[in-house]
Amino acid sequence: MKCPKCQRPVDHEAESCYSCGYSEVEAAAICGGNVVLLNRIHDAAHCLRKQERDDLALTLDQLELKFPQMLFCVYLGTLPPHLSISELGFWLLNHGQVKGAEYARPNENAILVLMDMNTKQIGISLGYFAESLITEEDAYRALMMARPNLVNSEYGEGLERVFLRLGKTLDRKGRQLRKLTREQFHAGLSGNNGPVLDLPHPFAPPLTGERATMEESLKSA
Amino acid sequence: MRSLAAIFVLVTMLPLPLRAAKVELPTWEEAAESESYYLGGGLWPKALIPDEAAAARDPGAANDVASADPAPGVAPDGTILPTAPGAITPDPEAPGAPRFYGPQGPADGTAAPPGTRPAVIENPDGTFILPQEIVEEEAYEPLPPIEGELSDLYFAHAPVDFLIDPQRLLTEQKSNDIKRFLEFHSDESDFRIFVMALGETQKIPDDIDIEALHKKWFSDSPTVLMLYYREQPQLTQLVFNESVHGSLPKSVFDRILQNTLREGGVTELAPDQVEKMAIELSIQLYWLSKLMEYENKEEQARAAKSGIHEMIASPDAPELLREYAPGIFIEDTSKILSLVFTLVIVVGGLALMGLIGWGILAWRGRENVSGQPLLFPEFQISPRLGGEFSGGGFVGMSFELSEGT
Repeated sequence: MKCPKCQRPVDHEAESCYSCGYSEVEAAAICGGNVVLLNRIHDAAHCLRKQERDDLALTLDQLELKFPQMLFCVYLGTLPPHLSISELGFWLLNHGQVKGAEYARPNENAILVLMDMNTKQIGISLGYFAESLITEEDAYRALMMARPNLVNSEYGEGLERVFLRLGKTLDRKGRQLRKLTREQFHAGLSGNNGPVLDLPHPFAPPLTGERATMEESLKSA
Repeated sequence: MRSLAAIFVLVTMLPLPLRAAKVELPTWEEAAESESYYLGGGLWPKALIPDEAAAARDPGAANDVASADPAPGVAPDGTILPTAPGAITPDPEAPGAPRFYGPQGPADGTAAPPGTRPAVIENPDGTFILPQEIVEEEAYEPLPPIEGELSDLYFAHAPVDFLIDPQRLLTEQKSNDIKRFLEFHSDESDFRIFVMALGETQKIPDDIDIEALHKKWFSDSPTVLMLYYREQPQLTQLVFNESVHGSLPKSVFDRILQNTLREGGVTELAPDQVEKMAIELSIQLYWLSKLMEYENKEEQARAAKSGIHEMIASPDAPELLREYAPGIFIEDTSKILSLVFTLVIVVGGLALMGLIGWGILAWRGRENVSGQPLLFPEFQISPRLGGEFSGGGFVGMSFELSEGT
């Protein structure tokens, strides 16, 4: 993980950036500590046409049907020079409330695509849960797929492609997880317990009790 | 009125200076001063120059003669006077009538114009005098008899070239064509063909036994020696090896000779005759070689009754014959069909593979969201940077053209 401000690596349990000391407190000091209300497609820059908005909304509807836990939203704006889109994404996910999002779709499951029309930058901010499902490479690949559309100012189509690509990634990840669960189920029947999820280490649930001892014995063996 | 008078004066007086001006024209030289010459070439009537010999001898005097005694109807200066009304056309036979130089017409009775048959003269007693027919000269010079050095050129040594023509009786171009054809034939056929070109009046010397010579020269391999007499294809002789001659009935060889002579008789020119006969002989030898493959005499005799074009084509038929006797080749349609079928299968297979590949790529690259809702398992994640829902996970990219990412 990287610091939203200085882009230096950050430990998975760090309270603040070791390099610049950035944290949610600083973000709240800059952007405000209040909760803001967001539309699912928040076009503050007014660069999407009606047709594009409708098409994008339809795509997001389909994605939400496919992934009932995930929250998909977009923010398009013209940011001031001192605010980067990574900082804004960090702040919005922690202080924003998306209209119409059910209880089942908390912000930690959010995939927020931000676009700054001033600096011509696009980014994807991920909540904790979404972070565990979508790797940086997948996210970058999704952005790259939309680059030709964005260069041609086809923002609606570009955003659609980003979301569809992310949907494919989530689909693939879901199938992998389902497979692992089935293996774990069979392993449980045979008395051989393995890791529940093939997740990166920082996101793996802490091992306690018997499971921890079993893991250690397996490692020593 | 005054203006009219002025115009009248102007019109009457103006041409006067013009009339007074005199144009200087060239003057003819006197006959004594100029060089006299005689115009001949059949341009002038004969009557203008009565004494042709005198005119030729003294050209300058011709004018005087003509002026002294002009012909009737001709002015002293040489122009022909117009005929007076009621005048009769002068009789060409009459003395003094204008007659023209150049080839004399039938009126003279001396020669017929070119391109017409000479007239047949009828005698008073009812008999006719036929004109003497023009006998064309022979095109070829008489050839010397084959003896001495010329005989050696023909018969002293075994031939190297397939065309033996030391007297160059055939044209060079055609000789080269025939040689090349005979070389190709020898490469592809069991029989070799040697063509010996002789003059139409020449004869093989008595001391030369052509069959013995053939045996001496060509006993090692089947060879046919064709003796060709210029423009006399009916005199052509074919000499085969004794072994070949003995293995097949005589009718076979008669037939070969007959077919060869028939081809030779199609044209009149010697080079063409040789070429056609060589080609026909090549075809006939192919038939002969096929005949010799039959084991017993009965099969040979039965096969000999069928013509070459009725024979079953062989895949090993010389390619050279394809040009000259395409009928003996049966196109292998099954082979072509199988080739086409293979081609279709290969192309179809490739197209199918491409279609499948395209389908797979399209399936993998599809971007639609479909299928059953997918639920992910829940798990705990420790927060960072004080964020309740997000720890600042972010991936960004620039889409400015000036920047790469």
